[in-house]
Amino acid sequence: MVERFQIAAEAVGAIVKRFTTLIDGAGYVTSVTGTTTVAAPTLPPALRRALPDLTLAEPADFAVAGAGISVARAGIAATGSLLLELTDPTDRSATALPPVHLVLLDITTIVPTLADLAGLLAENLNRPSPAYLSLTTGPSRTADIERVLTIGVHGPKELHILMMEGDASWTRD
Amino acid sequence: MDKGLIQQKLDNTFLRRALKNFAAAYPVARAKAFEGMDFEELRVRISGFKEAGLEQLPALVEQFTASAEKAGARVHLCTTPDDANRTILEIIRSKNADFLVKSKAMTSEEIELNHYLERNGVSCLETDLGEWIIQLAGERPSHMVMPAIHKNKEEVAELFSRETGRECPPDIPSLVQTARDSLRSGFLTGQVGMSGANVAMADSGTLGIITNEGNGRLVTTLPRTHIALVGVEKIVPSLTEALDIIEILPKNATGQKITSYVSFIKGPTGDEGRELHIVLLDNGRLRLAADPAFREALKCVKCGACANVCPIYELVGGHVFGHIYVGGIGLVLTPFFHGFDKAEEILKLCIGCRKCNEVCAAKIDIEGLIVDLRDRIRKPFGQKFLFGTLMKNRKLFHAALRTAYLAQKPFQGEGGRIRHLPLVLNRETANRSLPPIAERPFRDLVETGTGTGKSKGEKVLFYSGCLADFVYPEMCRDTVTSLEKLGYTVTFPQEQTCCGIPARYSGEMEVARDMARINTDVLLKEEADYVVTICPTCTMSLKHDFGKLLADDPVYAEKARRLAAKTFNFSELAARKAETGDWRLGTGKVPQTVTYHDACHLKRGCGVHEEPRKVLQELAGVEIAEMTDCDKCCGFGGSYSIKYPEISQEVLKNKLENIAATGAKTVAVDCPGCKLQIEGGLEAAGSPVKVEHSATLVARRIG
Ligand code: SF4
Ligand code: SF4
Repeated sequence: MVERFQIAAEAVGAIVKRFTTLIDGAGYVTSVTGTTTVAAPTLPPALRRALPDLTLAEPADFAVAGAGISVARAGIAATGSLLLELTDPTDRSATALPPVHLVLLDITTIVPTLADLAGLLAENLNRPSPAYLSLTTGPSRTADIERVLTIGVHGPKELHILMMEGDASWTRD
Repeated sequence: MDKGLIQQKLDNTFLRRALKNFAAAYPVARAKAFEGMDFEELRVRISGFKEAGLEQLPALVEQFTASAEKAGARVHLCTTPDDANRTILEIIRSKNADFLVKSKAMTSEEIELNHYLERNGVSCLETDLGEWIIQLAGERPSHMVMPAIHKNKEEVAELFSRETGRECPPDIPSLVQTARDSLRSGFLTGQVGMSGANVAMADSGTLGIITNEGNGRLVTTLPRTHIALVGVEKIVPSLTEALDIIEILPKNATGQKITSYVSFIKGPTGDEGRELHIVLLDNGRLRLAADPAFREALKCVKCGACANVCPIYELVGGHVFGHIYVGGIGLVLTPFFHGFDKAEEILKLCIGCRKCNEVCAAKIDIEGLIVDLRDRIRKPFGQKFLFGTLMKNRKLFHAALRTAYLAQKPFQGEGGRIRHLPLVLNRETANRSLPPIAERPFRDLVETGTGTGKSKGEKVLFYSGCLADFVYPEMCRDTVTSLEKLGYTVTFPQEQTCCGIPARYSGEMEVARDMARINTDVLLKEEADYVVTICPTCTMSLKHDFGKLLADDPVYAEKARRLAAKTFNFSELAARKAETGDWRLGTGKVPQTVTYHDACHLKRGCGVHEEPRKVLQELAGVEIAEMTDCDKCCGFGGSYSIKYPEISQEVLKNKLENIAATGAKTVAVDCPGCKLQIEGGLEAAGSPVKVEHSATLVARRIG
């Protein structure tokens, strides 16, 4: 299933990397973000500790941040999709405004198909409180001019998926 | 329909190439997206819950409203476009705003929101790339999913240069970047954002939005007020149904397994003061949902697939083939959303090939609805006599056809084919020669003892259809010969008459109903095992339409059912004998290789496409060299080829190219209409390729 996820995600233009430790994953994040500011309003504490040099952008400056970081709630193998829980508009902006989006995915949360996600989606949507859930599959794209596929329109131009193998319970902290 | 506009679109080489390339690429991408999935099962499920939902649409609206409001959204049910426009303006004004930033919503096109708001001092910015292009050009979308498919990069570059005040090169990636840069400030400064929705869930009050470019998420995130404009038919009971729609829509629309983004939005999110307004648009939907004859149209999930596969859309694009909503379903929805006056002309543009039905995500009988709608529109002058008086009277009608034989004489060219027709028809049939009406129709040949009554097998009544009877009597003779050689006993009931399809297609349902009664009586009078036809359009009529037309008359409805159960196409009956060996090879010559053209009404009207191949290979003993798009319409469509000859000719041209590419010297068909159209095209082009009905090939081969 992990392989299928990777193949499907790469087929739609995502960059997929696999890591067995948090430190390796953090190293990759740094190599992508470099010195730019990063939109990451809700980083898991363990990841934040592993990225001591990260320069976080203020929400008001997300539009000029170089990258955004999020953690996925689940993945779909058939399509290489990520389920993101983005009820807070600030979390949403972090995934929508910067040109680069990095998402950490605990591979144990990958399900085979969209239908297999129904339970988790329903659980979130059937609570009385407002919610905003997003399935993200590859970077933003268009084929509106002459049907030529072009990657990177209003959303991210690059989507990096960090597949975390081994113990990734820290993603849920 | 404006003939000038049709010609202009046919002459637009970019549009033609763009649509043709798309038509070629789409089925491949679509098949790949559905790989490993059961499309039929999925769409049957969608059709089922949509149908059930429409029956209780007012209740679903109520439930959705209650759930969404409980989650903190404000729901406004708007009856007319005016109501919706006014409501949206009031929301914007209540925020002291004068600027609306929008992602794609067909409903906004439907109510012409931008015009209304701009007139009232609110500026609107479309941020979907295609929609922005259309907005800058001051046009309307020509496709529901790819609104600017008719614009080439040079035109886009010109529009962007004018808008940004600097030279934009016609390079697609750089144009996309220009859009990103130019529209950014719009997202950041927009006080109110607007989106549509692809589905709405009644139990939780959630909206589902399917997008690719990322603008949908920005307009629902950055502005503090979000307005979603949603047609009431988008409401489904729960997430379960919504997921089916999310599953099918991108695959059917563009051949994507899923789009880049699917957002589920429930209530306003974020701090105090953020608002979500859901404007539910009725605009005739609730009334339509209560109309059992046409409610089916509202099952549409707006995937645009019916346009993607439509041979006429491929030629003329969405500015001709549709109004606001385009493609097959556009033809159907226009009268209900925009009035019958807007629909009258465009409804005639459909050629009836049923390609749309085959791919529809909601399994809507789009073509059937188009035909039924023609009944509701005004009848053209002159049609009354033809259908009212002439066709109902079999003797008169057949006498008129005989007279036509004499009238055409002066126009016949070499080989007896009509090369010149009087006046208006001349220009329009320039690229296709027409066969003459035969001196003696088949019905006269039978009377003098040709053919029938030689075998002792299962009894078959032969229903020839007018075209074969009067234009191709030899095709009828070959059918009888083949069936008899295969062991059937064949009779031709003399009182049979036109199946009524021309009347039905012209919206003359009463006449069609009369024809249905007459033929049902004639064909049930004699005891027989089967009724066989060689015209798939007649088969469809006998098998499906008679039952529908006579549904309100219990006696005839039952008769129609009996008739339908024993009606078959020639190839179906012939194929049954392929393995029995109850026949022997003759000495007649048949070509070694043929290519096969699937008639629209045989493949999609009757679901028959394997049998004809079996008959050709096993009974006629030929090899089949399949052509590209073998099941794509030839452009005949009955009187369509006379009403819209310029379109019909272009469809035919594609077919002729595909035929030529196979190298076969014979095209086998199972429809006299296809024979007439293709043969005429080949002949006008000076091609030696012959067109033969399968029955003719079988008659020649077996002894
Ligand atoms: S029946 Fe054929 S011509 Fe008519 S709308 Fe459907 S695809 Fe187009
Ligand atoms: S009618 Fe069917 S094929 Fe056409 S847009 Fe609607 S759902 Fe899609």
